[in-house]
Amino acid sequence: MASAMRDGESERPALQVSSLHAGYDKLAVLSGVNLELSRGEWLALLGPNASGKTTLLHCIAGMLIPSAGSIVICGHALRKDAMAAKRQIGFGCAPDRLPTLLTGRQCLEVYAAAKSLAAIDAEVLELAEQFAFTDMLDRFVGSYSLGTRQKLAVLLALLGEPALVVLDEAFNGLDPASALVLKKHLRARVSAGRCGVLLATHALDVVERYSDRAALLLDGRIARQWSTEELAALRAMPGEGLEAALAAAAAVS
Amino acid sequence: MPRASPLPAGIPRLLARRPHLIAAWLRWRNAYRCKRARVLGGAALVVALAVGMAAAAPTGGLLQRLAASPAVTFALSACLFGLSAVHRQARLRGEAATSWLAALPVAGSGRLRLALGLIVGLLAAVCFVGVAWAAGRITEPTASLLVLLTTAGALVGSLAGWRLQGRAAAGAPGWHYAMVRRARRRWATAPSLAPLSYWPVAQARIFSRPRTTSVVVLIVLLAIPSGSHDVPGQVAIAVAAGSITFFTLLALSAAAVRVAGDAARWLAPTTIRLRSFIAAYVWRVVLEQAAVLGVVIFLACAVDYPHALRAGMALSCTYLATSCAAASGACVWACRRVGLGTASRGC
Repeated sequence: MASAMRDGESERPALQVSSLHAGYDKLAVLSGVNLELSRGEWLALLGPNASGKTTLLHCIAGMLIPSAGSIVICGHALRKDAMAAKRQIGFGCAPDRLPTLLTGRQCLEVYAAAKSLAAIDAEVLELAEQFAFTDMLDRFVGSYSLGTRQKLAVLLALLGEPALVVLDEAFNGLDPASALVLKKHLRARVSAGRCGVLLATHALDVVERYSDRAALLLDGRIARQWSTEELAALRAMPGEGLEAALAAAAAVS
Repeated sequence: MPRASPLPAGIPRLLARRPHLIAAWLRWRNAYRCKRARVLGGAALVVALAVGMAAAAPTGGLLQRLAASPAVTFALSACLFGLSAVHRQARLRGEAATSWLAALPVAGSGRLRLALGLIVGLLAAVCFVGVAWAAGRITEPTASLLVLLTTAGALVGSLAGWRLQGRAAAGAPGWHYAMVRRARRRWATAPSLAPLSYWPVAQARIFSRPRTTSVVVLIVLLAIPSGSHDVPGQVAIAVAAGSITFFTLLALSAAAVRVAGDAARWLAPTTIRLRSFIAAYVWRVVLEQAAVLGVVIFLACAVDYPHALRAGMALSCTYLATSCAAASGACVWACRRVGLGTASRGC
């Protein structure tokens, strides 16, 4: 029965966001966002600074209550069944939100326990090894550099085989070798249909080479979306490609 | 033609060349403007509580006792102001290294800010004594003596704290004071929430800085002219030990309240239950406080202090219950803010 339920869950979209409105006190940040993401899909969320990318991710992670609209994660409405919805999410928190007075190992242990995991995934530990992070495990997070904190944030997000991986600027501060390891790792997970990845980013190379789709968030709403085919066409174009397409979409909006 | 000032209107002239003070001033002003009712209400509540306490009959008795033991009063004042100076200077050093204004070619106004802290603290103490005198709880000579002793203790303590911190390593980050615990063998195969409790305890060590605190207390003890004011040396030692105990307990409680928000925010995307979070977060803080109180009661019993066990147990239980309630309350409030442990989340 459990496997049947799991099969059912895997058929549902990893994420459905409908008419989402959110903000802080009187400041409206999101006004009617609609978004859908399946397992086996990598969606890049683009947009200028202060366009609402992080706010949208915080709403999806259940950290911010939207003023209207709905968020459904693998068939579970965040509003009605937050626990079931959160069980499917792997959220990469901002590096400065990590606990500076715990060690990396303690962070992994506490986070895994908080997600009710029986054990820390061997795959995550292997990724830590590939990140050359293992030597840092027994040091305080407060002593980590930005890139090292970013690695830890990503490792925490990937704990427990989440069906939806939500990352905010996850490649910021990562050295090129580690960034490549992470891109390949995420791509492998997505291609195997194990999860959907929602990545807020300004790194257009990631969008062009690794993403399946892209969405542009402008003034709190999705102004433009690019399908897999459109991204492939942009990739094939000589010159500025996606950069020019983004500028054009922003100008139209 | 007068040069236009880049400063916002309403900045006092005294602050014009002190960007660190301007930034602090603006921060306070913005907080006041945004949350005027809350700030005024909070201030009124604090003032009302302080006035109520100062005018209460038991406070009069306590102040009379303090005036009758000048050395103890002096030591207490020196301890409090010394530790306050140490903490303020440590915070200023930390800010000097990490502040957004750190790269400016101007002084950080550290001495002025330290002096301001001393003046504000001293004024508060003097006002407290003044209210007790105005309410008729203490006589004028007693009030004058208390003000004199508090001021002398504040000056000596602040100077000692200032000198002491001045010799300490500059800009040591907070985690420098925390201890790395040995990892459990089964950390990866059977993860546990237990390490979460290390966080508030480590923060408490940062707050209390045991090494610095012990040296401050030693200096204050050496400064006490034991016996010359009819106060035996063991009383002075007991006061110093009591102060250390009090600050250790207070640091643990303050850390538990202070860190709860960060911990809840970090774990917000997980499925941890509210009760599990509170239990995992609070237990070690309470355990450490219970251990400290237990040692104090044991020592008090060992020197045959009358009613040590009964009074100590009652006071300890009250303190532990209050501390536990405060930490749990902070956890609940923080969890509600970020939606941790809630079954439903949304509009």
